[in-house]
Amino acid sequence: MIEFHLDPSSGVATYLQIVQQVKEALRLRTIDVGDQLPTVREVVADLAINPNTVAKAYRELEREGLVVARQGRGTFVSSTLSPKASLAHYDRLRVELERWLAIADEAGLDEESIRALISATLRERLARRVA
Amino acid sequence: MAWVTWRQHRAQLVAAFGLLVALAVAAFATRLPIQAEYHRDALSGCLPPASRSGCDIIVRHFESQFDSWVAALRGLAVLPALAGVFVGAPLLAREFEHDTHRFAWTQGVTRRRWLLWKIALLAAGTVAIAAASSVVVMWWRSPFDTLEGRLSPSGFDVEGVVVPAYALFALAVGVLAGLLFRRSVAAMTATLVTFASTRLIVMYFVRPYVLAPLHRVVIGTDAVPQTGGWVLNDTLVDTAGRQITAGREDLAVLHAQHAGIDPQTYLVTLGWKRVVAYQPAGRFWTLQFIEAGIFVALAAAVILATLWLVRRTPT
Amino acid sequence: MNPAPLDARGLGKRFRREWGLRDCTLTIPHGAVVGLAGPNAAGKSTLLSLAAGLLAPSEGSIAVLGRDPLREPAVLADVGYVAQSAPLYRSFTVAETIEFSRRTNSRWDDEVVHEVLTRISADTKVGTLSTGDRARLALALALGKRPQLVLLDEPFARLDPLAGREFLQLLMDGVAETGATVVIASHVIADIERVCDHIVLLTGGGVRLEGNVEELLESHRILMGPRRPLGSIRGVRSIVRERHGDRQLTLLVRSDGPIVDHSWRVERVGLEELVLAYMAPERLPAPVPPEKVPLRWHG
Repeated sequence: MIEFHLDPSSGVATYLQIVQQVKEALRLRTIDVGDQLPTVREVVADLAINPNTVAKAYRELEREGLVVARQGRGTFVSSTLSPKASLAHYDRLRVELERWLAIADEAGLDEESIRALISATLRERLARRVA
Repeated sequence: MAWVTWRQHRAQLVAAFGLLVALAVAAFATRLPIQAEYHRDALSGCLPPASRSGCDIIVRHFESQFDSWVAALRGLAVLPALAGVFVGAPLLAREFEHDTHRFAWTQGVTRRRWLLWKIALLAAGTVAIAAASSVVVMWWRSPFDTLEGRLSPSGFDVEGVVVPAYALFALAVGVLAGLLFRRSVAAMTATLVTFASTRLIVMYFVRPYVLAPLHRVVIGTDAVPQTGGWVLNDTLVDTAGRQITAGREDLAVLHAQHAGIDPQTYLVTLGWKRVVAYQPAGRFWTLQFIEAGIFVALAAAVILATLWLVRRTPT
Repeated sequence: MNPAPLDARGLGKRFRREWGLRDCTLTIPHGAVVGLAGPNAAGKSTLLSLAAGLLAPSEGSIAVLGRDPLREPAVLADVGYVAQSAPLYRSFTVAETIEFSRRTNSRWDDEVVHEVLTRISADTKVGTLSTGDRARLALALALGKRPQLVLLDEPFARLDPLAGREFLQLLMDGVAETGATVVIASHVIADIERVCDHIVLLTGGGVRLEGNVEELLESHRILMGPRRPLGSIRGVRSIVRERHGDRQLTLLVRSDGPIVDHSWRVERVGLEELVLAYMAPERLPAPVPPEKVPLRWHG
């Protein structure tokens, strides 16, 4: 069973933290296919957060195909994050990134601005997907 | 709501019951010497309409022996007020003082139903205990009631159906006071003052005249035209029926003394008569029910006003 | 269509000469956890008292679950209300207090209460409970009614952080179970930031700010940059607060699109800071031409 923890000062939305922690647990094989995620009530009684937030996180995980909600019985892990698949993409993405960073450099962005731009874009992207 | 009322007022109920028990015990303990004296004096032979010679003196002797106790009994007239001061007034005042009305009045039971149930149950308890105390007092006073009547305040106020009526009225006034003043001490004071003044007003200005008093001409120094009656006033009237002022009476008496004649005899020769206005003993229960009716009606009006106001008053 | 859990129109309450609440118009969405914020004496308690039928409005109207709590007090069977300092009968034991609630409410579920009882002995007198335990008990009693609307007046005052956390845990569990709408009045935003998805800011003049927390946080940004005369900034609809330093200018703005101006460093704003900015008495005029402002922001 996963135990979630919340970092309110991290700037990351609560529901995203939950999503990330589930993914982390999947990567580390702490939970596996068929395992049940804590119920909304359990999470909420532990963390004292809005149940809608937990529901939102679980919906996002379901959208990504990682979990499936069974009516009246709970939310269960339906697939793992396969590390092999991601590894294959890493090199290609890395090269692309270096190319992009060079462009950003030329445009005069410093490291902070680059980080800010990446964070903001990631967030907005996720927000669009979830909304 | 029965459980709620019991739980919140059980201390009061126990205290009231304890008071009743104490009253009964005291009544029983003091009644024994009275009973003994009664038999010793063979007073049964002196009860009207029977009469023996010397009864007058025996009866007066008997009465004077227990005078202080009879007088003390008048203090019991304060008992009904306790229902108002210690049960009625704190009912709402305490809720406001402790802010618990914010808890009690935001549940499924509406404010009005909550109050209605509480008043109904407390009223039932109050009336029952008051009625029981009235029975105890009537039992204790039976020899005195027969001998001297029960229409005077030392009997009337503590016997019969008026006692529960007073208690009900006091309770009602207390609850309303608690709603209006919202503080226990203020409510208790207001209750006491209102109860006392209402009782006094009814006792002195209403009770004697609800039924038209009877009049009887009295010769000589007979005090009461009838045993057990309640003398309201005692006037001297001349042959034409006009009331004689104190001044005129004094003049006549002086004249008589001057002339060396017994004043009473002189007044008789003048044709002057003493007329006594009184309520006969037989009217006891009628007067009781009328007065009880008055207080019950007042209590009902006060309770209705409270129920109406409790919803309107913003907290 | 279900009536809104709470609906106020031009609501006002006067106490003798002072107005405790004035010109309050707001509608609370179903199932939201609403933070009712504002400085002391802004009218938060007054609003909740009006909703609980404990006060009569001086002007305007209030409807709870579609009904007037004064004219139809039966609606309070569906409302769980915990007043400031969680008043309970101090001479009652915990068990008796639960019995009281059980008997004065037609709908009752012992489950929430049992949970609380695992830590509090049923025979303890309420007057001897710690503040935290009493607050949790009061909340459990409110939840035991299975209400549709829960009103909490400054529940965190006098609670230490642990007790406050336990209180929120119990509350959120109750909300997850019943789907109730919750309104928490608190003058400390940090206490409720964790759980609120909707915020209402009350100040002396009525509702200053109202809306979904996520949307508000998404539509406000902090801009930092060197001092300069302000013109219109692309993406900024209006300026909520301006702070002038020696060399630096910090703005809290309401945006209507992405802010792509490189002369500003753009950062997100936290809920507490946002609310504080709107609470400030001085409000600056917008640099952009005036346009129709949506209902939510009351200037």
